Amino acid sequence: MAGYSVDPDVKFVKEIQKLGGESLKKCFQCATCSVICPLSSDEKPFPRKEMIWAQWGLKDKLVKNSDIWACHQCGDCSTYCPRGARPGDVVAAARAYAIREYAFPRFMGNLVGEGKYLPVILAIPLAIILLVLAALGNLKIPAGEIVYSKFLPIKFVDSIFLPFAGLAIISLGLGVRKFWNEMSPSRYRHLVGRNFFKSLLETIGEIVGHVRFKKCGTNVGRFTAHLAVFYGFVGLFATTTMVVFYEYILHRETPLPLYDPAKILGNISAIILFIGISLVIRNRLANPDQSSSYFDWSLILMIFGVVTSGILTELLRLANIANLAYPMYVVHLMFVFYIIGYLPYSKLAHMVYRTVALAYKRQVETIGM
Amino acid sequence: MTSGTGPVSGTILVVGGGISGLTAALEAAEVGYDVILVEKNPYLGGRVAQLNKYFPKLCPPTCGLEINFKRIKTNPRVKFYTLAEVEKVSGSPGNYDVSVKITPRYVNEKCVACNACAEVCPVTRENDFNFGMDTNKAAYKPHDMAFPMQYVIDGKVCQKESCAKCVAVCKYDAIDLKMEPKNLELKVGSIVWATGWNPYDAAKMDNLGFGKYKNVITNMMMERLAAPNGPTAGKILRPSDGKEIQKIAFVQCAGSRDENHLPYCSYICCLASLKQATYVAEQYPDAKIFIYYIDIRTPGRYENFYRKVAANPNISLIKGKVAQIEEDPATKDVTVVAENTATGAKVREKVDMAVLAAGMQPMMAGTDISLNAPLNESSFVLADPQRGISACGCAKEPLDVVSCAETATGAAMKAIQTLVRR
Repeated sequence: MAGYSVDPDVKFVKEIQKLGGESLKKCFQCATCSVICPLSSDEKPFPRKEMIWAQWGLKDKLVKNSDIWACHQCGDCSTYCPRGARPGDVVAAARAYAIREYAFPRFMGNLVGEGKYLPVILAIPLAIILLVLAALGNLKIPAGEIVYSKFLPIKFVDSIFLPFAGLAIISLGLGVRKFWNEMSPSRYRHLVGRNFFKSLLETIGEIVGHVRFKKCGTNVGRFTAHLAVFYGFVGLFATTTMVVFYEYILHRETPLPLYDPAKILGNISAIILFIGISLVIRNRLANPDQSSSYFDWSLILMIFGVVTSGILTELLRLANIANLAYPMYVVHLMFVFYIIGYLPYSKLAHMVYRTVALAYKRQVETIGM
Repeated sequence: MTSGTGPVSGTILVVGGGISGLTAALEAAEVGYDVILVEKNPYLGGRVAQLNKYFPKLCPPTCGLEINFKRIKTNPRVKFYTLAEVEKVSGSPGNYDVSVKITPRYVNEKCVACNACAEVCPVTRENDFNFGMDTNKAAYKPHDMAFPMQYVIDGKVCQKESCAKCVAVCKYDAIDLKMEPKNLELKVGSIVWATGWNPYDAAKMDNLGFGKYKNVITNMMMERLAAPNGPTAGKILRPSDGKEIQKIAFVQCAGSRDENHLPYCSYICCLASLKQATYVAEQYPDAKIFIYYIDIRTPGRYENFYRKVAANPNISLIKGKVAQIEEDPATKDVTVVAENTATGAKVREKVDMAVLAAGMQPMMAGTDISLNAPLNESSFVLADPQRGISACGCAKEPLDVVSCAETATGAAMKAIQTLVRR
């Protein structure tokens, strides 16, 4: 067997500890976690090997490893761990690290990933929105019936969001490409790529049903919460698509009446998202043993912010309280910007990295590599 | 504090009549001190009496116990009580008041162990000496080499006067069903806790199937299966159907080194499993034996024993803790699952029987504070020589038999010092 020289990256170990894996040094490699994990495979089980990579500071092995994305943080490993090493939290920290590691540009990963930059991160979209409003001469509360599209016409909203959404997609693409190249050994890459889209579709099929999440034991409540958040977002994405169609093809005026299919879908989705994210918060608060880092809380609170401000924006309009409705709309847009514009750098990026990693694993298992 | 030059008055109380308590009592008595030994079982000898063979020389328990029983019989300074439990301790060094409750034995010293009472007794009970793997009668002999060699009647299940067949059949007038519980009030100068241990309740590990699957047993049950005076007369057969063993798995650290159960290493279980692997290998030379471990811990010269066992080609040592056991409902075979950390892949081994190396939990766990014994967070007794309280054997920490005897000698010394310096 070829020798392997361990070159520990101590800074990396400390980073993982800071991101929620503070207990990682307690692990004594008994591998209870790998056996207890309902998602771990027989051939390449996790998270025992991830624990020793984290302990030894083997950043190159841990960060590019697809298995950290196969973990859904059920918590079974942490419950049964005889040492309180909390493997689930350590692997979650490794995922947070990976998102920052692959972020493009790198400084954005740090800005979004650290709490001290939050004011800056939120000030950017707020300033852009206020600048556009100022340019339109709309910095005061308009009189008369509340119509947001007269305050800030949809084409201006889109002209702010579409370029940033485009940048987010490009950035995410670059991050995922880097991840892919590190994850798949070059000599196998052509094999792995062959039926990739088939694997991708199968993986998405699994995600739609939350099949893996359902296997969780200890934190089974997370399944329901995540499912609601997921479908809340899916519904709101569909709503947005419908509204774009109304606006540019049918040239219909907003606000849409409450009985419009797009409105009904939007409102139902918002309620589902609100319930889902509230359950997420409740589960986290009810389980103080589980580590919840800034990386977790920032996304959770931003989602809570976006859905709460969205619902309030609509209710304040219906109640005709203009002095609150328009500012709430601006706040809502700020949260929307956070979710979309910072997607490659926040925990939300997991939806892309996880999907790609699971599709990769599926490919690898098919080829029998 | 005055310094004495020789024995002063005062009695040493030793709580627990296993190998540690026997040793402590005898060491103190043979120096010239009066000792009272209380034991809650109906016999002396404790856990060692339940073993098939014990370290370091792999002798049967008779080997070490008989000599101690002989010493006790011939030493007038040791007074012992069986079926006796300490209920309350108060006072101070040199002047302890101890309440002891004695459960009735219903059989007196006239008993010659002829077995006539057991033959007529209509009531069967689970045989706790064999961990419930067989039954005996309500009138029973604790075990073949019990000391005192005297039958006992289990008051919890006996029908007493309404039956009394044993009284009629006993030719020696040895049975008295009217015996009442007694309380002893003892005045002692110092106390040695030698209360020993219980096997950790393996059913608490819900992933290992003990209590659910018949062919998952504990290491102490294995000792009884291998012991000539055990439920199978020493033949190792699996409990579900009495099948002989072709494949067997030993599951190390079943409860030990686990902060959800026993946070400490129980010291002896690695050696116990290696030893039990040799029991199996002797009876079934072709059997495949798997030992799953976190670390094999064989301190000091026990390392040689480890080397000897590991050299057996039929014994495989796999680094990886078993964290899941499943049963095949048709055959009752069990499958143990672990990650072999040397290969990084999971292993699933279907075996006839799995033996859990259950750890040692101090007998003091869950006892009352009125015993006045200083305990640590795991309920091991902390010695406190200033207070005239010492501890030895597995009441103090998990140990092998040799070390138990060594700590017992040390505890006897501490107990004597309390009396002399009083």
